[in-house]
Amino acid sequence: MPSLNTFGAVFTFAIELETRLSAYYSYIGDAAMARAADKRRKKLERVRRENVVEITLEPITGLDADDYALDLNDRSAAGQAGAARIASQFYRDAAPKINVRAAQRALERSGREHGG
Amino acid sequence: MSHTVKNYVDGEWVESGASDVFAVHDPATGELLANCPDSTREDVNTAVRSARAAFDEWRSTPVLVRAQYMHHFKVMVEDNFEKVSQIVVREHGKTMDEARGEVRRGIESIDFAMSVPVLMRSDGLEDISSGIDETTVRQPAGVFAAITPFNFPFMVPLWFLPTAITCGNTFILKPSPQTPLATEYLFEMLDELDLPEGVVNLVNGGVPSATALMEHPDVTGVSFVGSSPVAKIIYETCTRNGKRVQAQGGAKNYIAVMPDADIEASVKNILGAAYGCAGQRCLAAAVAVGVGDAYDQLKDELAKQVAALKVGYGLDETTQMGTVISDAAVNRIESMIGQSEGEGAEVVVDGRDFHVDGYENGSWVGPTLIADVQRNTVMATEEVFGPVLSLMQADDFEDAVDIINQSRYGNAASIFTSNGKYAREFKYSVNAGNIGVNIGVAAPSASFPFGGQKDSFFGDLHGQGMDSIEFYTERKIVIERWV
Repeated sequence: MPSLNTFGAVFTFAIELETRLSAYYSYIGDAAMARAADKRRKKLERVRRENVVEITLEPITGLDADDYALDLNDRSAAGQAGAARIASQFYRDAAPKINVRAAQRALERSGREHGG
Repeated sequence: MSHTVKNYVDGEWVESGASDVFAVHDPATGELLANCPDSTREDVNTAVRSARAAFDEWRSTPVLVRAQYMHHFKVMVEDNFEKVSQIVVREHGKTMDEARGEVRRGIESIDFAMSVPVLMRSDGLEDISSGIDETTVRQPAGVFAAITPFNFPFMVPLWFLPTAITCGNTFILKPSPQTPLATEYLFEMLDELDLPEGVVNLVNGGVPSATALMEHPDVTGVSFVGSSPVAKIIYETCTRNGKRVQAQGGAKNYIAVMPDADIEASVKNILGAAYGCAGQRCLAAAVAVGVGDAYDQLKDELAKQVAALKVGYGLDETTQMGTVISDAAVNRIESMIGQSEGEGAEVVVDGRDFHVDGYENGSWVGPTLIADVQRNTVMATEEVFGPVLSLMQADDFEDAVDIINQSRYGNAASIFTSNGKYAREFKYSVNAGNIGVNIGVAAPSASFPFGGQKDSFFGDLHGQGMDSIEFYTERKIVIERWV
């Protein structure tokens, strides 16, 4: 999924990102962070479901999945910080591309929760 | 392995007595998904008998109980949201976002039906004469049917079914034989709801079952969404048989773009309006009218953005436009593009002979942009129902309105402008049932009636909103005196 060029592509990428982060945090034994990622995933699934508005569906440009590749093999403190930084950057970049305010807000908040 | 879709009658899945079937294909892969029976008049008679038998008990079921079914139904659809969306993509060919949008709009209609306990209330007046009071009550009217199209196989049935049954009627749905699978799943969910037998019924098929519904004396009213020629036949047949009817037809939707509009932002929205669902919707933008200087800017910006649209399989989230419904549709659309070219229009972006790697059996027409379209030519007058946007030039605002009002259709029209005066004049003078201001797809939400004028609608009461409460109820006046 290189180009995140639709509403669904952006949200599906975010949902998959949180799914992977939850597994990552579980593996390194940080249950609180894993739970937080799960909560965000569920929220993003709900937002994708409830805010896809036919009359405002427009092409999205300038967002590429390759720019937000996570290295989840690095389980060091630096690796964890790096993952959070990339996730935060993704949400910061994605939010302004979405033209439905409730959906935009969910992305902004997810970004803040990752420390952005 | 494909299966033959069953009918749902009297609370059970039953096989049609039909000997003929329609093949249901995934229009992107060509894969055979199912066979749809061409149900017979006897199949319809059985369904109507069931719906009629269920009516008396259902109408006396408290309205709050009827509304509770809708609460449970909504939860089911939400829980199965992604699955339903994927079914819609596979049988129709649209994108996942478009399918999700369709399911969302369907849920809106279920939400609306939950308001029936409020909306069915009526009014009264004491002492219209000495000691005499007068009230109106709304009562359900009987057995209703809907004949629904391929292009929104999940949403359009929900424009009708939830409100009809929550008002206390019983219901028969006949979906398009091209896309019976979303409604099959819809009825699997309704089956889980455990409604009384006969309240909702599904009859799959084509013309014979539609005709049988329209001619059956125990069917009170019929809702239809489809093309204008068929809508007219539906209207005439139903009225000849003494039925209520709301028949929503086709469209040729114009978008006026004023020189003061933000062209880049407008084009982004027009793209969704013109090429969403591959143009197969009655609210699709068909003609963009560039006013004065806006024409050249519009043409340049559209040419750039149309060519960049990603066409592909709808289950790929990055696809921005999917297939059309069938190879027959491809041939019809390509023929119309050729005719337009022959009339002197310029095909700026040509979607003919379009192919998508890996989907060689798909029914593809690429996004097409046609410029220099003149009045009274095929692209100015005929519904394409495909991913084709035409461009016309108007001298000024009045000329644009004149072009739009010449259309025999009146489903929707939009204006892109930053000028309130033009917006106001447009709303006031354009003869279309749904008006957009800086919105390309003027789709009414479920609590508003779905407008439509001229050859885009045959009937009096539209689908959705308070019109649907009127359509699905009978008003009774009670005048009483107690001495």
